[in-house]
Amino acid sequence: MIRNQLALIRREVWEHRAIYVTPAAIAIIVSLLTLTGQVSVSAFGEAVDLAIVGASNVDEDHRRVVMMALFGVVTSIFSLGAWIVMVFYSLDALYAERKDKSILFWRSLPITDAETVISKLITALLVIPLVFLAAVVVTHLIILILTTIWIEIQGGDSGVLLWGSAPFFDAWAAFLIIAIAYPLWLAPLVGWFLFVSAYTKRSPLLMASLPLLIVPMLEKMLIGTHLFWDAIFVRTFRPPLTRFDVSELFDEDTAFEVAQQNVSLLAAIDIGRFLGSPSLWGGLVVCGLLTAAAVYVRRYRDES
Amino acid sequence: MTSLVRANGVSKHFGSVRAVDDVSFEIEKGKIMGLIGPNGAGKTTLLKAVLGLTDCRGDLSVLGLDPFRQRKQLMQNISFIADVAVLPRWITVTRLIDFIETTHPNFSRSRAEELLRETKVRKDAKVRELSKGMITQLHLSIIMAIDAKLLVLDEPTLGLDIIFRKEFYGNLVNDYFDGERTILITTHQVEEIENLLTDIMFINEGKILLDSPMDALADSYTELMTSGENAMKARGLGPIAENEMFGKSIFLYEGLSRENLEGLGELRTPSVADLFVAKVKGARQ
Repeated sequence: MIRNQLALIRREVWEHRAIYVTPAAIAIIVSLLTLTGQVSVSAFGEAVDLAIVGASNVDEDHRRVVMMALFGVVTSIFSLGAWIVMVFYSLDALYAERKDKSILFWRSLPITDAETVISKLITALLVIPLVFLAAVVVTHLIILILTTIWIEIQGGDSGVLLWGSAPFFDAWAAFLIIAIAYPLWLAPLVGWFLFVSAYTKRSPLLMASLPLLIVPMLEKMLIGTHLFWDAIFVRTFRPPLTRFDVSELFDEDTAFEVAQQNVSLLAAIDIGRFLGSPSLWGGLVVCGLLTAAAVYVRRYRDES
Repeated sequence: MTSLVRANGVSKHFGSVRAVDDVSFEIEKGKIMGLIGPNGAGKTTLLKAVLGLTDCRGDLSVLGLDPFRQRKQLMQNISFIADVAVLPRWITVTRLIDFIETTHPNFSRSRAEELLRETKVRKDAKVRELSKGMITQLHLSIIMAIDAKLLVLDEPTLGLDIIFRKEFYGNLVNDYFDGERTILITTHQVEEIENLLTDIMFINEGKILLDSPMDALADSYTELMTSGENAMKARGLGPIAENEMFGKSIFLYEGLSRENLEGLGELRTPSVADLFVAKVKGARQ
């Protein structure tokens, strides 16, 4: 059972190279930008006299916030990438095998449809986020190493200016929790994509997105409520994971203050609130039902 | 119990189309059964039912299991090649073997590698880089490395040239079939396999027209080639089919002993293809 599951997940990674090529590409681009950014910012000398994150003319509080913000931004770029890969992966997962008829080969092996579909769900919800997280940590380390070298060349003390100024391990632990928790929050959408992937005869992206747009529109026009809109879009961006409201970070008046109060991301994460949220469990039930529907379709539909 | 497959009143309808219509048959251990039928006869649907890929009505038992509900157990002891080349195109040969080795309890890696060494298939190649013939060789090598009780082949050589086709059946009979295993095979090109079959079944419009051991065909069916006055007599003996060729009449009889036809012309056992045509035409009238 577990042996099959591991083999199936490994197969998914073999087939969908985007799972590791995309984060590797983002890591390379961000690292190159850091290097060139380092060089170009330093060219201004006065404003930031050493390097972007390790600037000695910025006071410690600001430096810490800037550093965590930089790490946060890098992480968000990867998160966006992970989300895109996750969407396209889950739309393709049960569609490509039908299109190229390889499903007939896979089904000639002693593996159940449920095992196969579950391996695809695990790949989407766990494997993709963790691969991207690994790339995030590696990229952070590259940024730190490049900056260290730069500061040392300029004659600064990287131990004080850089390594001692921000709680990296704290941040990585927090990102790990987010990388596991946030996909669970998004599970109903992933379940929907897998179901469409198993069901549709053509263009899974279109078939998956149209209902997501049309149903809330119809609801608004016919009944005047916006329950579906909230459940699909508003909910997605508001996982109850933190002690503060994430939107405050995007408000100019509150951003710095909130960031300063929450330099320890780990301390800002509220697992109890997350696990206690009925919306999380409701979403997981929806995901479970849609996954079961995908298994049913794969098993019962005649592929001739 | 020596029946590997036992079907009793099996039906599968798609709307008003009766793809398989109240079919009963048995396949015994150690047989090579040919399932012959025109396009749309219900062959593939019947095979899918046997393989547990589609649900059907009636009693169907394969290796003593319900194929649709116990598919996972069934697949440990059945292998099959479907009628289209279905190996995933993105996978490399080595990874394909790795995957099957992990997931199939009856797969022998060394056997597969041994079989592949006799082909031009490179182990680091992706399936998409192989020719159609090589993909079939790869697929057959994998299938033959699985110690299965029943092998199901649905038009396995479709679209391959004659050399590959001969090689394919040669390998199957020489390297795989050992009298213990059982093979169920469908094809259009019945001439190519009639010598290797032990049993044959004709299917048309969802119904079985003939189900017989190959060596019993000679006892049941006789072909007579004759002309002139003898042809008139022959026609009176109730042939199931009549054809003209080179100015001669060819009659096909079912269940008529050869003694009754002695002296009327040239007698022989009909080819499976001729018998098949006669049966299908007869069923349409």
